[in-house]
Amino acid sequence: MSVSILYNLIQVLVVMGFSPLAIGVLNRMKEIVQSKRGPSIFQPYRDLRKLFSKDEIVSDESTWIFRVTPYIVFVAPIFVTLLIPVLTNYPLFWAFMADMVGAGFVLALAGFFAALAAIDTGNPYGAMGASRTRMVGFLAEPIFLVVFFTVSFVANSTIPFIVQQKWVTPAANFFTPSHILLLIAFIMLILAEKGRIPVDNPSGHFELSMIEESKELEYSGRGAALMKWGGWMKFFVLMIVFLNVLLTPWGLAATTRISAVLLAIPLVLLKMLIFILFLVAVESSLAKLRLFRISEFMSAAFVIAVVAMITSAFAH
Amino acid sequence: MILTAIIVIPLAAAALCAIIRRSPAGAIITLVGALAALALSAWADHCVITSPHHVLIEISHWIELDSLGAIILSLVAFVNVTAAIFSLGYMDFKQSGSGLRYYLNYNLFVFSMLIVPMLQEPNIVWIAVELTTLFSVLLVGFENSHEALEAAWKYIVLTLMGAAIALLGFLLLFWAARQAGAVQPYTWSGLVAAAPKMSPVLLKAAFIFILVGLGAKVGLVPMHTWLPDAHSQAPTPVCALLSGVETTAVLYAILRVLTILQASPVTHAGSWVLVFGLISAGTAAFLLLNVRDTKRLFAFSTVEHMGIILTAVGLGGMSAHLAAILQIVGHAVTKSFCFYSAGTVLLLLGTRDIASIRGLIRRAPIAGTALLLGGFAIAGAPPFTLFLSEFSILKAGLGRGEYLAVGLLAIFISIAFFAILNHVSRMVFGASEATKPSEMKCRSLPTSCKITLVIAAVPVIVLGIFISNPLHKLIVLAAISMRG
Amino acid sequence: MTLLQNLTPLITNLNALAGGLFLVASFGIVATRQVGDCLRYFIFQSICLAASAVLMGIQPYSPHLLAVGAINLITKVGLLPWLLRKLVREEVYTRREITQAVSIPSSLIIALMLTLAAYWLSRPWLNAAAAGGALLINLPIGLAGLLIGAYTLTTRREAVPQLLGILAMENSAFFAGVAVAPNLPLIAELALAFDILILTFVMGVLTRTVHEKIGTTAVGRLTQIKETASPHIEAAAARPSGRK
Repeated sequence: MSVSILYNLIQVLVVMGFSPLAIGVLNRMKEIVQSKRGPSIFQPYRDLRKLFSKDEIVSDESTWIFRVTPYIVFVAPIFVTLLIPVLTNYPLFWAFMADMVGAGFVLALAGFFAALAAIDTGNPYGAMGASRTRMVGFLAEPIFLVVFFTVSFVANSTIPFIVQQKWVTPAANFFTPSHILLLIAFIMLILAEKGRIPVDNPSGHFELSMIEESKELEYSGRGAALMKWGGWMKFFVLMIVFLNVLLTPWGLAATTRISAVLLAIPLVLLKMLIFILFLVAVESSLAKLRLFRISEFMSAAFVIAVVAMITSAFAH
Repeated sequence: MILTAIIVIPLAAAALCAIIRRSPAGAIITLVGALAALALSAWADHCVITSPHHVLIEISHWIELDSLGAIILSLVAFVNVTAAIFSLGYMDFKQSGSGLRYYLNYNLFVFSMLIVPMLQEPNIVWIAVELTTLFSVLLVGFENSHEALEAAWKYIVLTLMGAAIALLGFLLLFWAARQAGAVQPYTWSGLVAAAPKMSPVLLKAAFIFILVGLGAKVGLVPMHTWLPDAHSQAPTPVCALLSGVETTAVLYAILRVLTILQASPVTHAGSWVLVFGLISAGTAAFLLLNVRDTKRLFAFSTVEHMGIILTAVGLGGMSAHLAAILQIVGHAVTKSFCFYSAGTVLLLLGTRDIASIRGLIRRAPIAGTALLLGGFAIAGAPPFTLFLSEFSILKAGLGRGEYLAVGLLAIFISIAFFAILNHVSRMVFGASEATKPSEMKCRSLPTSCKITLVIAAVPVIVLGIFISNPLHKLIVLAAISMRG
Repeated sequence: MTLLQNLTPLITNLNALAGGLFLVASFGIVATRQVGDCLRYFIFQSICLAASAVLMGIQPYSPHLLAVGAINLITKVGLLPWLLRKLVREEVYTRREITQAVSIPSSLIIALMLTLAAYWLSRPWLNAAAAGGALLINLPIGLAGLLIGAYTLTTRREAVPQLLGILAMENSAFFAGVAVAPNLPLIAELALAFDILILTFVMGVLTRTVHEKIGTTAVGRLTQIKETASPHIEAAAARPSGRK
């Protein structure tokens, strides 16, 4: 049991430690694709160090929500990390604490507080960003639910550790339409949920058009660092769920030996690198959608998810 | 040999038209081809009647002609001849090359209609039905006016949508046959023989798809909206073919499938057809009341007649089937005649507007007489075939105790009768507003149109009084074959 | 043969995947905003159809279905787009956005309902035939595609998308057909493929004529014919077309 707790903690450390790296790699790749050199892949770490060492300024008008939000945003992905298979393909100590729906709720809670905090200071851009995030969120919610339904149809469970093996045993199951369609829908969800192109432009700094970034405008110093880091971890966690639970549950530690678990770290990072390359290709080849087109993008994702559900529910 | 020749003739005519590229020659070639096809189909009818099983076999299981098919084939061949003659004087080709286009399409269209009754493989019949649409759509839009193109577009989109639905129906039919182990040989007659073994659920599903899909092309009511447009905007000879025989040829395919169903354990197929037929007949009858265009008048009348035929078939029983086939024959010859007379009026006065056609009997005696004759015949007035067949349908219905259906049908027929004759009598006898002699003047009528009117009038008048022995025999045989 | 038998679950799944993607392509045809995308979705749909035919031709081995797949690939992926490009080039490639009667999200929801309806409708047939395997995939998806295609026809107002809607309907009927009627006579298959080409040709010619004479291809807005007196021909303000 103590080993199990230890591995869970290693998972958390991996997520905390490597999520800035993932973002750094992604940003660097995008710059390279655009024929630029781009910042070092370690730039996010430097940003964090810089922000942590700076003073924090908090508006007098703001309430406790503004102050508490960075911590919630930071802790929520860590909490979710305990529930999902980051390195091992067998359940760890806290695996049965909550299922995928629960994990979704935890992440949604962080989003909720972030939206509240954005309104809290009275900054008009914050409110605008918050309302847009909520719009995307409302549209994403049914898709999440349908995805979970489909998963539970197939695996008879929504615990991530149990779900992960179902799609690949036997290996031919990888190609079931519900699986492939679910993957497509989930990628679209990740893009929407984390404000990537085509839903939002993460590197855009034009306040009128930004969705995700505008919520963090008012933060400085440690608050900003926690918000950013939390956001990166959320992205990392979503990718882990996608890769380890839905797409390729290979390369994880199958035994309880520490060496196997440590070996899983580079394998998972390798998978993530490949996925990041794919994301770079998507983001570089698409243009950001106009705001009112987002509902079309999301309804396309919804339809794909429902088709996945239909094909799995009626296939037998 | 005969059937092959009938298939080859229109194709050869089309090829010749394409090679010679001159419209006068095209007209002659088309006419000669039509006459040859008519003669051959008469010969084929003779063979069908005299052969032991009443089937003329060309390629076994693929191209065969039975009694029902023979009737359709002869009707197509006959209307083809009259339409070809009418085209001579009616079509006025201003643009170079348009005559070529017309006759090329015309012959291909006739080809597609001629093969429908001969083919035995249902899936290939579906293709033939689809070809009738594809080859006729450019004829519908031939005049290139806004209305004609609009009508052509509606026509092709709605009928092809129906065709795609029917395709699934035909594939389901194949599935049902495969389930029953009846794929070899997969023909109409083979299906009828295997019908008792087929799954009723699948047959029902297949039939509904085919009825809805092909019904769109026949002009059954929810899907009829294209029909008056297309049948009124096309050049008159094409209207005669479309309204007179194309609808009938497609209806023939529905009847074939219905025959399969009636040989199977499916119980309600007849009632669905009955309901569809009554809805079509009723809606068309009411729409006939305020039509403003002569060709649309006859086009709506086609919808009504298709409804009547389906109602008759739905009633079931030998006498109803006999009446239905007589109605098919009567409708084809009468409707084509009606369109020729409407086309003559259009040619003389340059308008299709019912309100501005008045006093026709004085201004244009030939056209007036023809319109009057056609109106009476298509409305089902006593001495004509359609009176006979409609009366028989009502009688057959009463004999089977379907009082509600018969009552409704009688009402619809009367409404349509009143509507058609109301319009026609006002056009023929109504007081003309034009008083000045210059407005009274008509253009001259091409000889070929007069000839067509005379030829087309012959069966309209004769069939009501006298049905020749071979035709009678064919009708009886066809009615027997429809019982499955 | 034993090797192929081991592949059975894989082939079943791949066929199911082709079905799922076929359905997604149907949704794409109804929901996309651009004529070019519409055509691309149609081509993708045709590829899924051909893939399904080929997969079912491999297991159980049937050269007939392999031929069907090849015919489909040649006509719909090769010849048909070429024909369209010849006939209505500017319609497909120059015009960008097209309107539709119902907004895209609502269209997608309606298409989704039609899909559910298709599954619901086809269930009794499948039960009646005690069907299994590919039929469970192909028949409902084919029916759904047919319904969605019909819906596309009613909601689209442009000529080329309507044509693609019809072609998608035929594709869907075929998609059901490869499962329900795998041993259709090859002559019928060839004739069907030929028929598709004639269809495209005729509708392409008609579209071009409509464009030349009326100056628009928003065929859904052609409502000149009514129960009106003496048809008058409006002088169409013919848009200058780049051709000639």
